[in-house]
Amino acid sequence: MISPVKIWRRQKEIKQNLGKKGKILTWTIIYVAGSEFKTYAPYPVAVVKLESGKRITTQLVDYRKEDLKIGQRVIVILRKVREGTNEDVLVYGLKVKPIF
Amino acid sequence: MVSIIGYYTTQFGELWEKSLSDLIEESITGVLRNTRLEVGQIDAIFFANMLAGVLENNLHTPSKIAEIVGVNIPVFRVEAACASGGVAFHLGKNYIEANSGKTILVVGAEKMTDHSPEETTSALSSAASGEEQEAGLTFPGLYALIANYYLSKYHNKEEAMAYVSYKNHFHGSLNDKAQFKRKISIEQILQSPYIAYPIKVLDSSPISDGASALVLSSNPSTIKKIKKSVAVLSSEVSTDTISLNKRKRLDEILATKLASDKAFSRARLKRSDIDIAELHDCFTIAELLAMEDIGFWKKGEAGNRINELETMYGNNGELVVNTSGGLKAAGHPVGATGIKQIGEIFLQLTEQAKNRQVKNTKFGLAHNVGGSGGTAVITILGV
Amino acid sequence: MVGIVSYGFYVPQYRIKVEEIAGVWGKEPIHVLSSLGIEEKAVAAIDEDSLTMAFESVSMALSSVKLKKDDIRAIFFGSETPPYVVNPASTILAEFLGIDHHYLASDTQFACKAATGAIITAASLVSSQFTSNALVIASDKANAKPHDPLEYTASSGSVSLLLGNKNIMLEIVAMSSFSSDTPDFWRREGIRYPSHGGRFTGKPSYFYHIQNSASDLLKKQHLKPSDFAYGIFHMPNGRFPREISTTLGFTKKQIEPSLVVRSLGNSYTASALMGLVSVLEVAKPNDLIFFASYGSGAGSDAFIFKVTQNIKDKRQEFRKKIENKTYIDYQNYLKFMRNL
Repeated sequence: MISPVKIWRRQKEIKQNLGKKGKILTWTIIYVAGSEFKTYAPYPVAVVKLESGKRITTQLVDYRKEDLKIGQRVIVILRKVREGTNEDVLVYGLKVKPIF
Repeated sequence: MVSIIGYYTTQFGELWEKSLSDLIEESITGVLRNTRLEVGQIDAIFFANMLAGVLENNLHTPSKIAEIVGVNIPVFRVEAACASGGVAFHLGKNYIEANSGKTILVVGAEKMTDHSPEETTSALSSAASGEEQEAGLTFPGLYALIANYYLSKYHNKEEAMAYVSYKNHFHGSLNDKAQFKRKISIEQILQSPYIAYPIKVLDSSPISDGASALVLSSNPSTIKKIKKSVAVLSSEVSTDTISLNKRKRLDEILATKLASDKAFSRARLKRSDIDIAELHDCFTIAELLAMEDIGFWKKGEAGNRINELETMYGNNGELVVNTSGGLKAAGHPVGATGIKQIGEIFLQLTEQAKNRQVKNTKFGLAHNVGGSGGTAVITILGV
Repeated sequence: MVGIVSYGFYVPQYRIKVEEIAGVWGKEPIHVLSSLGIEEKAVAAIDEDSLTMAFESVSMALSSVKLKKDDIRAIFFGSETPPYVVNPASTILAEFLGIDHHYLASDTQFACKAATGAIITAASLVSSQFTSNALVIASDKANAKPHDPLEYTASSGSVSLLLGNKNIMLEIVAMSSFSSDTPDFWRREGIRYPSHGGRFTGKPSYFYHIQNSASDLLKKQHLKPSDFAYGIFHMPNGRFPREISTTLGFTKKQIEPSLVVRSLGNSYTASALMGLVSVLEVAKPNDLIFFASYGSGAGSDAFIFKVTQNIKDKRQEFRKKIENKTYIDYQNYLKFMRNL
């Protein structure tokens, strides 16, 4: 079971980055995923440098193929990041999508 | 002064018949037999393993080993992800320097094939940060982030990585204990499917079972009795951030650089003194980075230099890398790897490497990395 | 005076065409098009839900106002696809928005009128001075049983309204509600897809309730349809809103700007409100807007809105934004809706 306490603590910590803009430093596409993320594969993961200087590692969504490149501008949005089983607390977190 | 006086490794691969306990027992019995020592002459055991807690709900291994071997001596479990072996060796070496006149075993073992690949992949990602796990990153994914950055920055193609796999598979064909003894071609590597772009199946070390063991001694009379021994000239450990996104640079593993500087300084050797090396090629990109970060090659040149295959056995290069087959071809039972690497250098320096014996080796180096570069261990041995 | 101070909306990136769905079930797209009046609908991605979409629409609503966190002391989240059956989405949303803790949070359900009922409550809390501002959010990632007619219309979207008593851009002139026990469409606890009574959802349900809430309100305010610049009605499909508006006496011209259902589908609690968003893009100060929602089970909330001068600063670009879309096929639709 995903610990609801850990989710609670973490969500307080990450919300400050919502809506922030940044650039992709590097990226990959995960084709073979672990148990929890299997249903979502393939999906891209990127290291993003925000305008504040802070770096985050997160998935890229709502993108076209050509948006998946080093230097692409992105914005931080809220999405479901983990779903666990149908008895678990839902985990909401940060993902990024391209902006132009 | 610490010396390695014995080495034994089990076969690496999918060892369905063997449990973790079986593997530990085989490696300990094997190394004692090779060294003609009794278990009663061992003063302590250092044990390297990463996944038994996560996969098998199995901790308190010191006590488990006490049961398997039938001893009451101190046993210490060491974990640093894939660097567990190197770090266990480091701790063991320091232990007998501080307690002179002792002889110890350093054992590394891992059992990874009892579970589905997804479960094992998830277990391995415990070596990544919470944020990286939440993003759905896998081990290959982390190195893929590094590879994509490196290849882009230094204008290399995926082919540069393929040469590492090609070379190490050739070496694996010479090692009877290797998981893969089959040579492969560059085309086969480039055509293998992606696990995490740009890392492909044939760029990645496999999921393996195995155990390796070394005997270390700081007891002069014990060392004198052994014909084939190797001096441990230095063993240095460095750490760095677990999060890839908190590293200073994405195209180097700083922990490797720092550990190397310390190790060469302590051993009073130059990079060019090393004849034989085992480098941590969990993914092919890692060996390219290692050549640069340790200082054998300049930063950014590995991608262009690797295709000359100077570090391949039989090409008369000044430095031969990964004659065991590396992690790629020999296999990567996580806890055992660091020990196997040191063991391979031991075999080379004591001229026991059979058909992959490199001539006139005097100094050797083993490089073991944990996670995406959070821990690095450099061990330098000499005869 | 109570009214809407600012608003926001969110329509996900993805669309599926009616002919794509029809093709799977061997139906002629032209038949579906003519009977339902829908060409394509919006579909939320696999990692989106009513909460993540709500976050987007509220962020838009709050981006144009400068509020002290303490000013919002009531938050209503209306949905028929909330992330939890037990656990308020309104508080999860408020936490991510950084709204301070001294607020009343309430999750509501009443099929497609979950949010509009909350507008009545929220407006009352503002006029009674319980709070100077209240948030009402409508959000749904509506799902339908494969092969059911609802599969063509059930879509995803979110609209958020910030209510207040100052700097109002859309005054709430009057409100009215009409309810009965009419089981035309329902979903039991633990069951994934809703069920419905087929044609029973028409005359005794949708039409009956809107007819009554609308005539109640018009009578109360002594107004007739021709007094309004626009009429907006809940859009379960492309035909029902046209029929009810004609029955009530509204013209095609009055309701045309609101009919987003043709290209976006029916986003359930956000459906009629999305029609309002579409109208607000073109409405002028002093325009009177007639609005009636419908929720199965059943009920209808009717409102009379008046556009103020403040619309000029608070208008949101809509038509251009929703043109930014990506078409998906049926397999991906199933994947995104987690029906696979």
